[in-house]
Amino acid sequence: MIKKVFEISKWEFLEKVRTRAFILSLIITPALVILISIGGTFLSASQEESTKAIGILDSSMTFYPSLSKILENYKLSNGQPAYIVLNLFQPAEDLNQNMKSADNEVTGGILAGYLLLQIKDNDSINAEYRSKNAGNFKDVQRIENAIEEVRLRISLIQIGINPDLIKSAVKKINVSEITVKEGKEAQKSDFLTDFLSSIIFIMLLLMMIIYSGQMLVRSLVEEKSNRLIEILVSSCTPEELMAGKIIGLSALGLFQMLIWACIGMALAGSSMIPVSAFNNILIMLVYFVLGFLFYTALFVGIGSIVTTEQEAQQITSYLSLILVLPIAVSATAISNPDSVFVQVLSYIPLTIPAVMLLKINVVNVSTIEIMSTILIMIASIYITIFVASKIFRIGILSYGKKPGFKELISWIREK
Amino acid sequence: MLVVKHLTKKYKNVVAVNDLSFTVNEGKIFGLLGPNGAGKTTTIRTVLNIIKPTSGEISFFNRSISSDFFNQIGYLPEERGLYKKSRVNEVILYFAVLKNMPRSEAQKQSNYWLSKLELEKYRNNRIEELSRGNQQKVQFITSVIHNPRLLILDEPFSGFDPINQQIIRETILSFVNEGKLIILSTHLMDMAEKMCSDILLLNSGKEVCSGPLSQLKKNFGGNVVELGFEGNNELIKNLSYVKAIDNYNNYAEVQLADSIEPYIFLRDIAGKIKINHFRIIEPTLNKIFIDMIKQST
Repeated sequence: MIKKVFEISKWEFLEKVRTRAFILSLIITPALVILISIGGTFLSASQEESTKAIGILDSSMTFYPSLSKILENYKLSNGQPAYIVLNLFQPAEDLNQNMKSADNEVTGGILAGYLLLQIKDNDSINAEYRSKNAGNFKDVQRIENAIEEVRLRISLIQIGINPDLIKSAVKKINVSEITVKEGKEAQKSDFLTDFLSSIIFIMLLLMMIIYSGQMLVRSLVEEKSNRLIEILVSSCTPEELMAGKIIGLSALGLFQMLIWACIGMALAGSSMIPVSAFNNILIMLVYFVLGFLFYTALFVGIGSIVTTEQEAQQITSYLSLILVLPIAVSATAISNPDSVFVQVLSYIPLTIPAVMLLKINVVNVSTIEIMSTILIMIASIYITIFVASKIFRIGILSYGKKPGFKELISWIREK
Repeated sequence: MLVVKHLTKKYKNVVAVNDLSFTVNEGKIFGLLGPNGAGKTTTIRTVLNIIKPTSGEISFFNRSISSDFFNQIGYLPEERGLYKKSRVNEVILYFAVLKNMPRSEAQKQSNYWLSKLELEKYRNNRIEELSRGNQQKVQFITSVIHNPRLLILDEPFSGFDPINQQIIRETILSFVNEGKLIILSTHLMDMAEKMCSDILLLNSGKEVCSGPLSQLKKNFGGNVVELGFEGNNELIKNLSYVKAIDNYNNYAEVQLADSIEPYIFLRDIAGKIKINHFRIIEPTLNKIFIDMIKQST
């Protein structure tokens, strides 16, 4: 019996590996990904390469001196200061006039952006970074850190602790913060590249799943329409046929990945792709394979009930939408990986692979979370294959109208 | 020997096959006939063990059918089609190894069949590059390459030119001599009539008639004469004992009442119209088919 499964998977693999579309996908997908990642590194590098002029509009003037000092401490890779900090506060004018002239300087391109600090009555601080282009993660992150540091220093003074003591105390915090950062920089990693490398993996997973899923459904529809499926299931059981198809397709996926990995390694060697993208490669591979298997089983089950190419396309595009969801929420997932929404998504089988691929490079994911999500995936793969095989058995022999939900349930129950 | 007993298959609210029993013997061609939607495909699928019957038993040489049975069966479905992008020899080998044939043996058989059906020069072509007839031949090979004991052929002649029809017909007849069991489902009544020794006629999932073809013909009111004539056929129609007339202008098949000897009919029309020929005929399978189906609906 194993022999038949082997023969089917071998056939499925060889049939598809030789198609022009597959050979093209081998080249086009990595080319696309490389383009994106080069674009990304280029983007983050170009932002880095020149000193930026940043303004601070702090009407209280309590934050400005310390803030500017901290920000001016950041250096570019060539040793030049990363920021020149300007004081935008003109005591002679009121706040609105101050803001107007500051805004003008930003739109005029004199300043990269400015920080608007307002201290409210209840001692809370309202901080805005106003710049021409939103979304400069790195600058905002640095400014946030600096404000946090200064605020801590000020509140210590308010409690009435000796300024010298404060200085050394604060300095200590400072030192440890910097070492963490330096440690990270030694790996040539930063937020943006982390984000990008995760996105690269998700996109690879996505493309592979969508591509092979479509291929699977299309070939099933073809086999159904010319009744080849009847010859097949009069030669082996539907379970063997399904297993053969899943294994063959997975082998195809692995082969595809192997080739992409080779391309990736070569490019990482020539530093076109950030090396950090390969930091968690093993665990990512696990999610990759699990995700692929899960979706393949899903596609087999669903693919067996459609009769026409059109229906097939409809269904594959719905499934692809679910796959894209994690990318849509990726920004949230990264800036706030502990939010309830992301937590929930990271325990739903449909989104586990993508969300975990995203999280694993950006935040420290606990071993428990990794183990539990992997277990969930394995369990859902098992269940999906079981249910899919029940549907497959009957679906491949029914033509015409798509079965309703009730009918599907009766198929699953049928012995 | 394939024995089907009280086979019934119900779908949600349709009874596709209703209490069907029949036996297929070695070295015989069994004709499974019936109009479209009569339940032939469902019957075939249950015999193939693709679908499970609601009730009834199917046994093959005294063993009930199971997945062990797969490798002894060959199936040519009515709707044809193969992997279009794949190469002829590879497709044949794939189906052969799926029937548990060792690859080397499969290759030997593939060579044999490709040369027998004059497809040798196409062995490395893609299926889609072949003419329709040649594609059909490849599919025929895939259904017989593993030397099955039971062969189920659904419209095996469709899409073939007369020369190829003859090749396929001779091949099927050679299987009969080898003692294979063959189920033939077709709408070509003249072909079925010449090839099948037993018949099962189905309509709406039920048996209409079954048995050895010779017996069937005898039972089916054989009092029919074939008449070539010139003149007015009104005369024939008006004879009281003429039960039915199948008229083609100057040719007619006339069915007489059972009690009337054909010579009485000849005597009654002689001299009144010009008779070119007169022959007592058995009913064709075509006629049996049409009349029986009409009667049963």
